[in-house]
Amino acid sequence: MSTAYKVIVNGQQQLTVDSSQGTLLEAMEAAGLEPHYHCRNGFCGACRVQLVQGDITYINEPLAFVRPGDCLPCCCVAASDLEINQ
Amino acid sequence: MSYSTFNQNQVNPLLEPMFFGNSVNVARYDQQKHSIFEKLIEKQISFFWRPEEVDVSRDRVDFQALTDSEKHIFISNLKYQTLLDSVQGRSPNIALLPIVSIPELETWIETWSFFETIHSRSYTHILRNLFTDPSEVFEDIVINEEIQKRATDISRYYDDLIFYTQLWQTHGEGEWEVDGEKHLVSMRELKKKLFLCINSVNALEAVRFYVSFACTFAFAERDLMEGNSKIIRLIARDENLHLVSTQQILNLWQYGQDDPEMKEIAEELRDEALNIFMKAVEQEKQWAHYLFRHGSMIGLNEEMLCQYVEYIANMRMEAIGFDAPFKQRSNPLPWMNKYLVSDNVQVAPQEAEITSYLVGQIDSNVSASDLGDFEL
Ligand code: FES
Ligand SMILES: [Fe+2]
Ligand SMILES: [Fe+2]
Repeated sequence: MSTAYKVIVNGQQQLTVDSSQGTLLEAMEAAGLEPHYHCRNGFCGACRVQLVQGDITYINEPLAFVRPGDCLPCCCVAASDLEINQ
Repeated sequence: MSYSTFNQNQVNPLLEPMFFGNSVNVARYDQQKHSIFEKLIEKQISFFWRPEEVDVSRDRVDFQALTDSEKHIFISNLKYQTLLDSVQGRSPNIALLPIVSIPELETWIETWSFFETIHSRSYTHILRNLFTDPSEVFEDIVINEEIQKRATDISRYYDDLIFYTQLWQTHGEGEWEVDGEKHLVSMRELKKKLFLCINSVNALEAVRFYVSFACTFAFAERDLMEGNSKIIRLIARDENLHLVSTQQILNLWQYGQDDPEMKEIAEELRDEALNIFMKAVEQEKQWAHYLFRHGSMIGLNEEMLCQYVEYIANMRMEAIGFDAPFKQRSNPLPWMNKYLVSDNVQVAPQEAEITSYLVGQIDSNVSASDLGDFEL
């Protein structure tokens, strides 16, 4: 099964992420997007982005409250093509 | 109404609201209404640390070499943090335990407050190392006007909730006169006071430490006061968890996943909650001003600190459903992040010494002599 997906950020930038190669946050950093983060472990909520479209999978269950329409890239991977707002 | 340490009525905690339901009787965690609090307890306990395990002895030499304005910054921050943790080491217990109704939240509150007492003890550890007699520093905390201003705002909402809970638990609902002043005690009023109190604590955990954290880590960036910085990293990690818990409570209410009356109150008092947050942000900026009034320090000035407060505040406010009020969307102090990363993850390569996870994970086969030059 392919783990490579397209991610559109802020409606413009597009990157390809490989879910087997690390978290969405790491993929965003590798693409030079400078995402916010503190704990990198799902418990501070600093990395929160809007998930406009698509599915993600949490590799660690976050402790921070994830409001509807948001996701925490530090502890998830893409499970489909995505559209997110930073 | 009156509190019982073991409520003898049969109650089903799965059907209780977080607060102001039946008081908790059996401390059981096999079933949870809000399992998040059980997870927070586990996480917090896994973070256990002891201040004495962190070697702060080299800081004394560093401290003596600081300029007077840098000493003022360093000591003032420690005073302010001492105030914050003095309040937090007792208030969640005193204000929230008498009204909590589910066991996992009750235990979270106790765990949370306990960790705040570790923070308090760590300030004594730091100060004892810097001064032969740290009394003067501690004594100034109740005299210093700048700290006083903050203390008033921090304790106010707790005190109000505690007082009304006491009236309610001794007299019940009604209008009661105490020292010539009338107080209307109703469940609605109590819940409003609870809502404001949690918002005030949330703001405390969210922004009130960060000016001080930034200064500590700015010293560490210059390889100064590193023992202190290791302790503050551990504290910062704990504070993040505390913040998550208050954000959870506020969001559970807002999304109607707990007491429906609290959802109404959250809507009704939205502006007041916003004001509490904005006032905390304002006070932090004033604190930055106070810190730098005798001069700034290398790598940090008042303006950068205020921008950082705004940056943090935006994030924290969005987490509880407010719009980000400030323009500052990028991180003005990018080096802060490496100190705030939880050590589960490898941080920047120069961070050779990982501050935590060593605590409590020492292999039981290791003999004392193996630990001779063990360093945290
Ligand atoms: S960085 Fe803390 S939750 Fe993602
Ligand atoms: Fe604390
Ligand atoms: Fe705290």
